[in-house]
This record gives sequence, C-alpha cells and structure tokens, in this order.
Amino acid sequence: MHLKCFLLLPILSLVLSAHLRFTIPTTAALNPSILPPSTSATLTTLKTHYSAPLRSDNTFDFRNVTTGSYLLDVHCHTHSFAPLRVDVTVGSIEGVGGEMVEAWGTFRGNEWGNKGEAMGVEIEKNIWKFPVRAAGVKEYLVERAGFSPLSILKSPMILIAIVSMGLVFGMPYLMDNMDPEMKAEFEERQKSGGVGATAGVQNIQNFDAAAWLAGTGKDAKKGEAQGKITK
Amino acid sequence: MRLPISLLCLTLSIIPNSRAIFADDAYEIDYHHQLLGIPQTHATFFHRPRPLDKPTLLYTLSDLGVIGAVNPATGEIVWRQLLAYDKVDRPGFFRPVEGEGSVVSAIDSRVDAWDASNGKANWGNTFAGTAKDLEVMEKAAGAKGLKDILVLFEEAGKSTLRKLEGATGNVAWEFKDESSDVPLQVSTDVKSVYLVALHGAWGGYNVKVTVLDPATGKKTTEYTLSTKSDVHSAEDVLLVGANSAAPIVAWTDKTLKTMKVHILGKSGEQSLPLKEVNGGISNVTIHAPHLIQSLPHFLVHSQSPTSNRADVYHIDLTTGSITLAYELPQLVGQGAISTSSQDANVYFTRFTEDEIIILSSISHGILGKWKVTLEDDHGALIQGIAEVVKKASDSYAARSAIVTNSGDWVLVRNGAEAWSRPEGLSGVVAAEWAEIPQFESLVKTLEEESHSNPLSAYIHRVTRHIDDLRYLPGWLEALPVRVLNSILPIEVGTQNTRVVTRDTFGFNKLVIVATQRGQVIALNAGNKGSLVWSMAAQAMSSGQKWSVQGIFVNNKQGQVEIYGTLGDRTILNATTGEIVGKHEEADFKPISAAVAVEDESGTWIMPFDLQGKSIYDVPSNLAPSDTIAVRGPDGDVRGIKFEIKGTTTEQILQWSFLPRSGQKITNVVARPAHDPVASIGKVLWDRNVLYKYLNPNAILVTAIDDVASSASFYLLDSVSGDVLYIATHEGIDTNQPIPSALTENWFAYSIFADSLSTTAALPGSKGYQLVVSELFESEFPNDRGPFGAAENTSSINPSDIINAEPAIPHVVTQSFMIPEAISKMSVTQTGQGITTRQLLCVLPGVNGIFAIPRTLLDPRRPVGRDQTALEAEEGLFRYKPFIEVDPKYVLTHKREVIGVKDIITSPALLESTSLLFAFGIDIFGSRVSPSAAFDILGKGFNKLSLVATVVALWLGVIVLTPMARRKQINLQWMS
Repeated sequence: MHLKCFLLLPILSLVLSAHLRFTIPTTAALNPSILPPSTSATLTTLKTHYSAPLRSDNTFDFRNVTTGSYLLDVHCHTHSFAPLRVDVTVGSIEGVGGEMVEAWGTFRGNEWGNKGEAMGVEIEKNIWKFPVRAAGVKEYLVERAGFSPLSILKSPMILIAIVSMGLVFGMPYLMDNMDPEMKAEFEERQKSGGVGATAGVQNIQNFDAAAWLAGTGKDAKKGEAQGKITK
Repeated sequence: MRLPISLLCLTLSIIPNSRAIFADDAYEIDYHHQLLGIPQTHATFFHRPRPLDKPTLLYTLSDLGVIGAVNPATGEIVWRQLLAYDKVDRPGFFRPVEGEGSVVSAIDSRVDAWDASNGKANWGNTFAGTAKDLEVMEKAAGAKGLKDILVLFEEAGKSTLRKLEGATGNVAWEFKDESSDVPLQVSTDVKSVYLVALHGAWGGYNVKVTVLDPATGKKTTEYTLSTKSDVHSAEDVLLVGANSAAPIVAWTDKTLKTMKVHILGKSGEQSLPLKEVNGGISNVTIHAPHLIQSLPHFLVHSQSPTSNRADVYHIDLTTGSITLAYELPQLVGQGAISTSSQDANVYFTRFTEDEIIILSSISHGILGKWKVTLEDDHGALIQGIAEVVKKASDSYAARSAIVTNSGDWVLVRNGAEAWSRPEGLSGVVAAEWAEIPQFESLVKTLEEESHSNPLSAYIHRVTRHIDDLRYLPGWLEALPVRVLNSILPIEVGTQNTRVVTRDTFGFNKLVIVATQRGQVIALNAGNKGSLVWSMAAQAMSSGQKWSVQGIFVNNKQGQVEIYGTLGDRTILNATTGEIVGKHEEADFKPISAAVAVEDESGTWIMPFDLQGKSIYDVPSNLAPSDTIAVRGPDGDVRGIKFEIKGTTTEQILQWSFLPRSGQKITNVVARPAHDPVASIGKVLWDRNVLYKYLNPNAILVTAIDDVASSASFYLLDSVSGDVLYIATHEGIDTNQPIPSALTENWFAYSIFADSLSTTAALPGSKGYQLVVSELFESEFPNDRGPFGAAENTSSINPSDIINAEPAIPHVVTQSFMIPEAISKMSVTQTGQGITTRQLLCVLPGVNGIFAIPRTLLDPRRPVGRDQTALEAEEGLFRYKPFIEVDPKYVLTHKREVIGVKDIITSPALLESTSLLFAFGIDIFGSRVSPSAAFDILGKGFNKLSLVATVVALWLGVIVLTPMARRKQINLQWMS
C-alpha cells in the first residue's frame, strides 16, 4: 500500500484511520486467481490517493485510510470492475473504534450523491471487509471477418441465381428424359401459351452456356435453333 | 439518396469495429520491449519460488524501481511490479525469504512481501520516512510461522527499526533511536539484532552498534567503535555483513593499505593488510554469504583501474579470530566477484574480461573455469551474480547473470550465452523520429539530367542504365521472395536488422532515444523496434540521471542534436550513431528550453537559459522572424522577439503572461510542429459550414492552485500574448496528473474532479474527467467572424480599427467522465491531415495506451436527446457523460506497457497511417489508422484467394472450351 499524500483536514481530531480490505469473491464468471499481478485498486478523493496491489488471497488491503468519501476503482488489465463509493466516517458502532465504513455501488457520470446498492460490510479484527465484483472480461482484439465460401451461399441473390442456373441446365435434361407423349403435350402447351410470355423462357432454355463460354457467338445459336425447329 | 448516406454515416460513427485492432494485426504491426531496468547487483538473486521444487527464478530490483522475476532458462519475464519510478533517487532493497516462497522489497516508504511465483502481494505496509535497510530474520530452530522482516527507516534524521510479522506485515516491535545518528544497516545473527549507525558529524564518524533483543526489540547493549579517522561518510563503511553466522563491519584506512574488520557482538577489531595492485587500489569490496547456515567466510576484492586481486578469509566462530585462507592472483581488468551458497558451502564466482572461474571458500582449488563466448557485441562486463550448483562430487555448473556496459543483461550458462535482455533501452527520457537517410537519390540525378544538353543527358542516362544492370542479378534473385511475400500471408525470408532502408509506405523510420543513463540508441520502427545503433553519449555517475531538454533531428544532414538541461550538447550521426560534435565547456549554463527556430537559411536550435534569455548572441542573419514563447524565471510565460540592430540582434520582451495569483504554471503545450489541416471548415448536416479557428500560434497553458484545489486552462496567442479563452475548474486534485493536448482547432485535458461540498454548487461527480473544446471562428455557420474574407490576418493588429480587441474564437466544450487516470496525452499525425485525429492517452492504471476516436470527443454531440437523422449524417450522436475504456481501442491490447512517460507520433507516407512510439520504462510502438486503412490493402484482403479464383476461372475455361466445341460439332452433325 502506498500513501501518496496526506489528507489535510483542518480538524485533526476528526481524522481517524480505518483498515479496509476488499475481496474479489470467486464466482462462476471469474476465478480471481487468474488475475494478473499488475491488478491494483485505488481509493481516491480530493487530495488523497491510496493504491494497493492485488494480494495472493485475492484481496486489496488498505491500511490507515483516513475519513472521507472515496471512489474505489479496480484497475485490471484483463477484467473490468464496477466502481464503488466508500465512505469512512466518524460513526459509532459498539466495539469498533470510532470509525464507520460503508460502501455502495456508484454510477460514473452521475452525481456523487446518487448511490447504488449497499455492499455487505464485515468487520473482523478491526478490518472492514467488502466484496468487489468483476463486471466483465476485456476483449481487446477483434477477429477480422474473413472470406468464407459458405457466407456467399447465405446470400439470397446467390440462392436465386443457383436455382435459376439449375433450371437452365436441368431443363434440357428433363425434356430429354420425358416420354414422347408428355413431351409432345408440353411442347403443345408451350406453343399455345402466348409467345410474348414464353419467349423469354424459351430464350433461356435455348441458351447454350457452353457455346457462350466458348465464345462461338450467334452462329452456333442459330444452328441450335434451327435444329430445334427441324425436330 | 438521403437515407443510404445517412445510414452509412451512422454505421461509420457508431460501429466501433472499423478502427479496432484486429487479432491478425496485433503483434504484427506493433512491437514491445518488456523491460525492467538495469539490475542492481545487491538486489539480484536466484531464488526458488516453491521451496520444495528445484527450479529457480532470477529476481531483481532494477535501478528504475521495478522488481521482477525472470525465467533463467528463456529470459522471459514471469512477473514484474513497478514500485517507484521517478520518485526515489536510490532504489531500495530486495531480499529473498529463504525456504519460503516469497520475496520482500523495501523502497521509499513502503515495504511489501510478494509471492515469488506469481508476483502478487502477500502483504504491504507503509511508514513515514525512507527505508535504509531490509533484512529477513532467521527463525530460531523449531520455531513455527513465517520469517519476520526487519526494516530500518530514517525519518527526519532519526532512525527507527521495525520488526514486521512475516505473515501479515504488522509491526511486531519498534525501536526508535532518539539520537541523530546516521542509520546505516541492520544485521542479525542467531542471538541478536544489530543496528549499525554512524555517530558524530560529517567528516568523521564513529561506528555505533546497538544490540537489540530479537523477541522484544529492547536495547540490550550499545557500543561504539572509534573509526573517526577513517570513516567520513556512509560510503566509507564497506560492508555490514547481513544475516551470516558472524556478521561483520569493515572499513579501510584512508590510504587503502589496511582493512579493519569488526565482528558484531565480539569485542575489538582486526587489521587485515591489503596487498598492492597494479595501478594502485581504487576500490575495495567485501563479498560474504547471506545465509546463517553458510560457513563464516568472506572475500576481499581489491580493484585498481586496470587490474584486480582478492583474498579469502575465514572467521573462527569460537575465538572470533580472522585468518587468511588463500589469495586469488592478480588479473587484468576490473573484474567482478559474486557469492553464492548451497547449504553450508560458499562459492565465489570470479568474472574476468573473458572468463568465469568458480572457487570454493574452503580452498583455492578451481572448481570450474569457462571461457565466456557471447553471441553479440554486448560490450564489457560490469557486474554479475552467479548461482553455483554442485552436480556430482567433483562437477559444478554455474549460471551467471551479468550486466555489460552496453546495458545488456546476459545469462551465461557455463560460459555460453543463453539469452540476453536489452535492459539498456529502459529509462528513456526523450525520443524523436528521424528519417532514414537516402544516399542515392534518383530525383537528384533526374534533375541533373534535365538541366544538361540533350546529348550529354542521353549519354548520362544510358551509362546510368548500364550501371544499374549491376543490380539486376540481385534484383532477380530477390524477385521470387518478393512475389511470395506479397502473396502469402506469412513472411518468407528474414530481414537484415542492421541494414535500414526506406520503404514504400514510410513505416521504416528511425527513433532516436536518449536514456537517463546517458545512452543514445536508434531503433527501427519499421522492423519491430530493432536496435540499429547504440552509443554512450554522456558519462553518468551513479545516481545521476541525464535530463534531456530536446532531441532535434536534421534529416537533410542526417544529424541528431541532443540538448541536456545542464547545457550539454551532443551531435550524432543519425545512421551510425557516431558522435560528430560535443559541446565540451566547463561553464555549462543550465537551459530552460531549446527551441527550433526558422530563419532564411533553415532551421536551427536556440537554447534559452533559466532567465528566459537566449544563451548565444544571435547574429542578424540568423534572427528568427517569429515571436518565441518561453517559460520565464518568475513562473511566467513570455513572448520574445529578436530585433535586428546592425549585425547583431537585441532580445525584446513582447509580452509576459502570469496566471491568477496563487496559481502556478505547470504545463504549456503548443500545436505539434507537423499539424496540417486539410479542411478549414466543418460541413454541417444542412450543408452549411462552420469555420474552424486555426491559429498556428495558439498555446495552451495549464496553471494549478494547490491551496484552492483549482486548475485553469488558458489559451494564448503566442504572438500577441492575448488570452483567447479561459476555463477554470474547482475541486481539482492538483496532485493527480493534468495532461493536455492541443491540435488543429481543438484541445483536450484531463483532471480529477471532486464534487464540491458547498451548497451553492450543483451536485457534482467524483472521478477523472476528460474535457474537450473545439474552436470555431464564429458561432454561426457560414460566418468567418472578425476575420471575414481577409487573406491575411495579424495577431497583433487583428483589424483595421486601432487597438481593437483580438479575434476571440467561439468555443464549444463537452466534458466526459473516464474510469482511468490519464498521465499523458498525444495526438496522431498524418501526412496531409485528411485523416481524422485520434487522442492518444496513457493509462498508467491498466498499463495501456487508449486511442479515443474523434467522433466520440466531438463537443457538438446533441445533449439530452437522440441525434436526428441529419445529425447522424454528420457523424454526431447522443452525448453520454461517460466514456468507457473500450478495450478495442486500447492500442497496447494484451500487452502491458509500464512506466510510459510520453508518446511521440509521426506521419507515414500513407495518409491513413500514423506511427506512434511510447517510451519510459518499456518501449512500445505501433501504427494507427484513425479513419481505417483506406489506402492500403490490409490483411482482410486475401491475395491468395484472389489468385486462386483467377486460376480456377482460367482452368474452367480450359476445361470447358473443348467440351463446348465438341457439343457444337455434335449439334451441327445432328441437325
């Protein structure tokens, strides 16, 4: 524990000193023994600043804390902790000196009088004990959203494209495998249906992807179309 | 189109991940030297963290007040604690508790016991005064509990000895010495505690020994040794043997001819002769074991500037007589000795310039001797400690941790180097960026060619090209590696660390650092902060620290100029570190500032003395045209102008600024030297423009009042001395750091503010605050305020009206609560200033550097209501009084960077990127892209998959072409 400066209170008789100990309880969320040794806690108020390193029994120990209203911060590299308001006042509890220590949760960015939930205080051999709880783990690094082929498949546009591709490539095979009667019936229906509506479909059906990829252009397509007609 | 744009802005401003640190960038773009400081021999030891297990760790307390444990096998830090940096001149004491898994430290006023294996505290206690000595008390045989600790404090000239309970650190007993004797050391043997002090006045002391009862702390007896003629100061007492079976006090006579030894608790003293050493004895040291079970043997080491020798003595515990056991021959060099003990055996390790010799204290036979082979050029050995282990009946192994004069800490295992740590890099007091000098400048050659006649230019060009062919084989050889490097995500081939060249992105830059030990070191920021050169620029005696006023780099000449506060000046070559020039004058004048001034011929450095006057007479041709703002002798800030008087100049005080009475100026910041602004206005959501108040001469002065607990921030115009803006805060803890930063048209500062107890005050909050103010030319959009449309403005005569008021900026301020104290602030720099700036804050509490995005700190954020869609388009969002330290913005991420003194930034060639370098105890460097890396392909761009896609498409075409052709032919045939 390190006393950085002394409290300058005009009425020295009022200055008492308390021995405070803050415990980090073991919870499901945090096993305090994994906290790094650089973890420390500070009690700060105007002109007074105490700092204590984390002890091996997962406590912070402050000796000789003078009267005042302190902000308790736990500085930890791996976990974040909620701040506490700790008041050391001249009180009157039987059997314990003359000092009185209370602790509440506090909210940053709110006025100091706005106190939160009171912390359970225990007194043991003139040491005031409080729990301090971790608020969460600090996640420093962000995983970069990498490229994954599956993410492409999730896109609805790609799904539509795949379905239409299936139609384009699958239809001729389906047609080929139909028994002649059904085929004739199908072709009949196509002819009777408005040309305008089915022209697009027909074009798609007649589209020869392989020929297009080979770059053999319209001549080939014409031949294909002729072939169909002669059939 | 409105909606998508506003949505985009909203996402850019709210989604924080765009500028966070990516897991694959971390450890790649940043570098970190985890350092301790130079280990102090008296506080360095091998110790078993778990008494039952064999492995030992290497513990040290460094000269910077850091204690740490290092794995002796790998050289990696197991744990470390920063106890006192920049606070104490003489870093304290560090001792192992033998047989228990703890170590104890005493530094300044605090005493702590640490768990030796994980570095957490066992207990801590603070007392008034300064620790003068620390000892671990041995338990009486069979006693239970942990070993108690003895600490000697000096408080206001009086000494107090305290026994602390080994389990809790509570005071078991206290002994106050009411006399004003100089406390020296405390020593124990099994029966008693000895408090050794110097009695008398400076110039002649007697050694006074007070014997105390270890159980009660009551004085049993007290005696004085008459040493008045020999002991003049505390340094003259060579050794007060600590916890050994027979603790001794030793001192030499003035002529270094004999040494006198007194065994504590026994009567009388014995004289031991010191044999002559070539070159005359200059230093005598005693080495003795520190364990009670060790044999009571000690070694006297006599050193001259050129050679050294030693004698080993034995103490007879029953009679108290001291006998010479054997002598060690004289060897060349100063050498060093270390003691180590295993059970009762005591081993002495002798380090020479190139050898390590181990000896037993019993006889002169050499147990082991190794020739030391170091891998790198670490320089000469200064000191070392060793651990000797007996392996078999006649084979020994030694591990030695030695400190060399280049500041490296090297572990030598039986003569071979196992690892080395560059501890000389720690304790940096100043740093500056330097461009890597380029010798063959193509631009220059091309310019030359354009000026000559076409024919000769052509011939020159052809010969140049033929000449360039020399590099072709090398270029071709490097080509595959380059191609692979650019495609594969991992690096192929290694870079040569010592050869430094510029790179296309401007990441390769030199950082010139000056350490408090007088060393100047250059690091390559582009190559993970690797060492380029190191040079001892100033000789520092122990305890003295080099205080550097400024480092100035002249990139044209490739030179670095370093000004010390004492007036010393060193000029070095930036590429090699060679000392080009040194200002060696007996009458150094301490300087208060060194300012880079510009005249017609270029930039040069003007040092100012403590009176705020230029040290040199400034000739008229070098007179700076600008007003220079310096700190004056009366705690003021003043503006100085040089008026030309014939061939010389006269220094004229233009203005002087004193803060409100009771306040003292603690800090003055100006805009960075490189602070370009891309846009003079801020385009609002309604397409109007708020014009930024851009004053290149603005300075921000911080003044504090310790009594009233208030702090004021004054924005001054350094040309006219006009006060442009004042902000005063009440209820400020002036003992806490109050950092500030000024750039572009905004400034920021941080304070610890308390709620005021007066009834008139509004209910306040308690905690650290970050206040941001932005300056505009006018409160109204599209209005340029008093400047109007004028092309030029003058700070002295702002308008045509005589004696007019200065143009006062419109200031918008917002303050935020932050959970951590900020010890230092800095701002990122980029080439053109197009990229938004980030505020870089050093958080000493969590050992990190926090980069706060500008959007969070915009003082125009709407208060008390949500942002409208239009405001969101501008990047504004609802004000929240509290800024959380978002770990994603912590540039140091999982690394713990301790003792950061300052951060310097520099633009890279890429507009998006700013380089940063943090120094202090540790060294940390990284690159930041405050507006995301918009001009460079990051790791997210997978070149490999791009190439793979192209190849796959190409293969598809090759496979499908014959298929398609076949199908066409078939179709033709079928038709």
